[in-house]
Amino acid sequence: MALEANLVAEFDQLAKNYPEKRAIMMLALHRLQDVRGWLSPEALEDLAAYLGMEPVEVFGVASFYPMYRLRPCGQHVVSICHNISCDLRGAQDIVAAVCEATGAPLHGTSPDGKFTVTTVECAGACANAPMFDLDGVYHEDLTPEKAKQIVRSVK
Amino acid sequence: MSQTERYLLTRANIEGAHQLAVAEKNGAYEALRKVLKEGIPYSTVIDEVKKSGLRGRGGAGFSTGMKWTFMPDPAKDPRPRYLAVNADESEPGTCKDRVIMQRDPHGFVEGVLLAAYAIRAQAAYIYVRGEYRLPHDRVKAAIEEARAKNLVGKNILGSDFSCEVYMHRGGGAYICGEETGLMESLEGKRGHPRPKPPFPAMFGLWGQPTTVNNVETVFNVPFIMNRGSAWFASLGTANSKGNFLCGISGHVNKPGVYEFSFGITAKEILEQHAGGMWKGRGLKAWFPGGSSCSLLKGSDIDVVLDHDSLRARGSSLGTAAMIMIDDHTSMARVMEIISRFYDHESCGQCSQCREGTQWLSQIFRRIAHGKGKADDVATLEALAKGMAPGKTICALSDAAAIPTLSAVRLFKDELIECVTRQADPLAVPQPHYAVAGGHH
Amino acid sequence: MVKIIVNGREVEADPKKPLIKACHDNGADVPMYCYHPGLEPVGSCRICQVEVKQGDAPARVMVACRTQPAEGMVVDTESPKAHATRKECLEFLLKNHPLDCPICDKAGECDLQDFTYAEGQDAGRTNEPRRELDKRKSLGDTIVLDQERCILCSRCVRFFEEVPKQAQLTVSDLGSRSVIATFMDRPLKGKYQGNIADLCPVGALTLKKFRFQARVWNLVKMASTCGECSRGCSTTVEVLRGADVKRMRPRENEAVNKFWMCDIGRFSFDRHNRSGRLQGAAVREGVQLVPYPVEEALTRLRDELMREKSGAWILSPWLTIEEGERIKALAERLGHAVCFVSPAPNSEKDDLLHTGDPCPNRRGLSELGIPAAPVAQALEALRGVKSAVLIGERIVELLGAGELAKVDATKTRVHLVDEYALDIPCVLSVYGVANCVERTGTWVNIDGVRGPISAVKAPPVGARSPAKLIDELVRLMPKLEKAR
Repeated sequence: MALEANLVAEFDQLAKNYPEKRAIMMLALHRLQDVRGWLSPEALEDLAAYLGMEPVEVFGVASFYPMYRLRPCGQHVVSICHNISCDLRGAQDIVAAVCEATGAPLHGTSPDGKFTVTTVECAGACANAPMFDLDGVYHEDLTPEKAKQIVRSVK
Repeated sequence: MSQTERYLLTRANIEGAHQLAVAEKNGAYEALRKVLKEGIPYSTVIDEVKKSGLRGRGGAGFSTGMKWTFMPDPAKDPRPRYLAVNADESEPGTCKDRVIMQRDPHGFVEGVLLAAYAIRAQAAYIYVRGEYRLPHDRVKAAIEEARAKNLVGKNILGSDFSCEVYMHRGGGAYICGEETGLMESLEGKRGHPRPKPPFPAMFGLWGQPTTVNNVETVFNVPFIMNRGSAWFASLGTANSKGNFLCGISGHVNKPGVYEFSFGITAKEILEQHAGGMWKGRGLKAWFPGGSSCSLLKGSDIDVVLDHDSLRARGSSLGTAAMIMIDDHTSMARVMEIISRFYDHESCGQCSQCREGTQWLSQIFRRIAHGKGKADDVATLEALAKGMAPGKTICALSDAAAIPTLSAVRLFKDELIECVTRQADPLAVPQPHYAVAGGHH
Repeated sequence: MVKIIVNGREVEADPKKPLIKACHDNGADVPMYCYHPGLEPVGSCRICQVEVKQGDAPARVMVACRTQPAEGMVVDTESPKAHATRKECLEFLLKNHPLDCPICDKAGECDLQDFTYAEGQDAGRTNEPRRELDKRKSLGDTIVLDQERCILCSRCVRFFEEVPKQAQLTVSDLGSRSVIATFMDRPLKGKYQGNIADLCPVGALTLKKFRFQARVWNLVKMASTCGECSRGCSTTVEVLRGADVKRMRPRENEAVNKFWMCDIGRFSFDRHNRSGRLQGAAVREGVQLVPYPVEEALTRLRDELMREKSGAWILSPWLTIEEGERIKALAERLGHAVCFVSPAPNSEKDDLLHTGDPCPNRRGLSELGIPAAPVAQALEALRGVKSAVLIGERIVELLGAGELAKVDATKTRVHLVDEYALDIPCVLSVYGVANCVERTGTWVNIDGVRGPISAVKAPPVGARSPAKLIDELVRLMPKLEKAR
């Protein structure tokens, strides 16, 4: 499989913003992940071919950044901040609440494949702790009840 | 000290200020227009910013005007040059740049353009942490709006100043907030900080002269250009000028991002603005500027918030992100989390940092879980001293060592008690949940 | 060049090269893991800390691999502060390193082990569980990775990026979770893989062929030259207890191969360990080759050669210049033709080292005035004379046993000096010969650089170097000199 035609067009455009094509790497990995759900080996190879690089180089970059998912995940991803400001205000209770509401173990996916639940280090929402990110949207000033409610309202 | 004046969040607090029409009505791009219409030379912009006393708001507190002068003279060095804006805000406790980008993106873009003008960069890359989608989208939309009005791009406002502004996204790695790690990441590589020298001003993005400035830093520049360096310098204290955004988080009644002039005391911030400690509890300890600075005891809350005063107390201003910890909290637990963070975020290049952050994390975790060993506290101190200062390529190793040393210095007895009792007396029961793969 | 002071001695240093090089060049033993003189310095392992004083600034401890020498710099590699900083760094490097030196192939030549003995603390402080990772991860046919031993210096990663210029490895993940990996565990490709085992400062990357083969302190090592192409990479040949060659490794030579060699050369030693080698001499009596004392066989050969004006000497391009010189002189005295076999280029030519020309001493023999003969031409020369001497290792292999079998025994008498006997009718005598790890001499590579070959082990009983054989033959020919 090669890169989707629309992505190729998009990446070609993006590459004009940089003196080196390789610089689109981070943005391209994000886009590819958005489109394909996760960064499969094939996805990394496709991007490598597009960038004229070795797949191992793209893999080395992708594996460095926690946001890139190198394994398949559920339809929705809940990333709960468990760094200090959130922990001081009950992040662990949020983890428990989200795991309960989704049926997913932490760092795992719910049996119905709907949710992947994970913890992340400081998401930069410390003044509104605790918080989680659900599919790229921040939910802040959480309580366990509010957390469960948000998760349960996901279609 | 009473608060003198606020300017940083004035526009941000107006409904809809992320849109160009609202932003312009409220003064956005006035400074840029003034500089370009009046043909104020870049050297004057640098001088003004130098005279204002503006110091970087990203943690290190280096003079912004001075940093700009490190860029080579374009007459002698015609290479392309870049501005990289560090919007990879990820220091625990820090959440101020997000407010700027989300609520006043045009003010921010104006700051970016003026900084680019000062260093004569033809392009600015804004590196936003990947998790900040809304801030990213807001700034990106602002750039497009501004471009449509000839505020970004070629011959801005009919002047001979051209500058492209591009958005770039990170991937959730704290180390990319280190300026050379940021540059590597922007180039599409693993975010490994580069050894210095060479410094970015001579060898930055793609080997070209580059300045890296924090979001809040460049955000201050339009205000300085509008109202003058003397006005700016009238705010704050001897060596810390202007207003700053202060994030206050942890065990307080009203956590938030507030604007203050340097010189306010931490006590005033806590009591007058953050609503005091929650649940009527006392303040046990606090970080004045993010998790990478030394912890201070609760009794040190009367300190003035500025670079010099905090240094005098053995800590630092950092990103002015106050993390407040109440007197029911276990410091072993706090340090378990802090040290886990640095272990998680070390890029892994330097031996001391890669192995040291893991080692500290393992020891704090054992102590917090009642499995401490007799020499653990001494080992923590020895390790932290082996990791810093200046022993590694970048300062992440220092950032892990500094809070460790302060915890060992200030809370030695508490840590030793955890070890001798083989239990943390202040531990609170944690909720149970399943963990995939069996690790917690 | 700038003048700097290294450990109290004024020396010249190249300001474009890292300070660590100036230290090493002047006898200061600064340890290194991530730094390697053949790769770009990255300054990540932090072990090469030395104390540097410049101008009036106070002395500072800094990594020597990322410091440029500057005029007047004063370097102390042995200061207490430098020692203390290195010792500290070492403790971190050892934190997750397994204590498996007794079963590690690298033991005895391990930079981590050596430096720990030299400078480390007596006992480790860590009781934390060490990283549990794959101890025998196959990276293809050549290399095994022990992830637990790896100290993440990234030399191997950078080697592929910088030398053959095709990335094959990466550091995957980050921080204390970092491991060296290929993409999707794919095997390594290409013919420069073996170099990463040499580069690895610990026992993380080992050669499959060398695993558990020998303790390195039992190996006898001698400087030599690779014979697999006309590049003639400088090598070290390592032999266990005088018997088998266990390893061939590149030897630093800026003019030829820098620090590298290809796997074709590296693993060519198998042929030197084969059994069934020809011992002494044999002479055809009737239908079979019968063992003969060498001197008697040579006497018979002398008689034939002195009698026969229609003769040719066909040389292997593995012969040294010393051997070529002797043979050429002898052939000229006998009025015989002389040439060396020049096989067609093979497909191994690349941009790095391999020339694709299998003749290690093409240039040396050519410079002696010995003409190169393509295989067909050499066979024709052979068929056109009444007596022919085929001499040197691999000569039968080059000409082809099948082709030689077609030679009309009634027209051409062939005498063979090679590692193995070839029992075909035209061959009237055979002589065992020492190969390129069993004799000394000189090859000249494609660029005119001389490379030594060394006798790192003894040839089979009765086998001789070509030089010795020719010398013995000439000694049997005193009358020839007088006749001239």
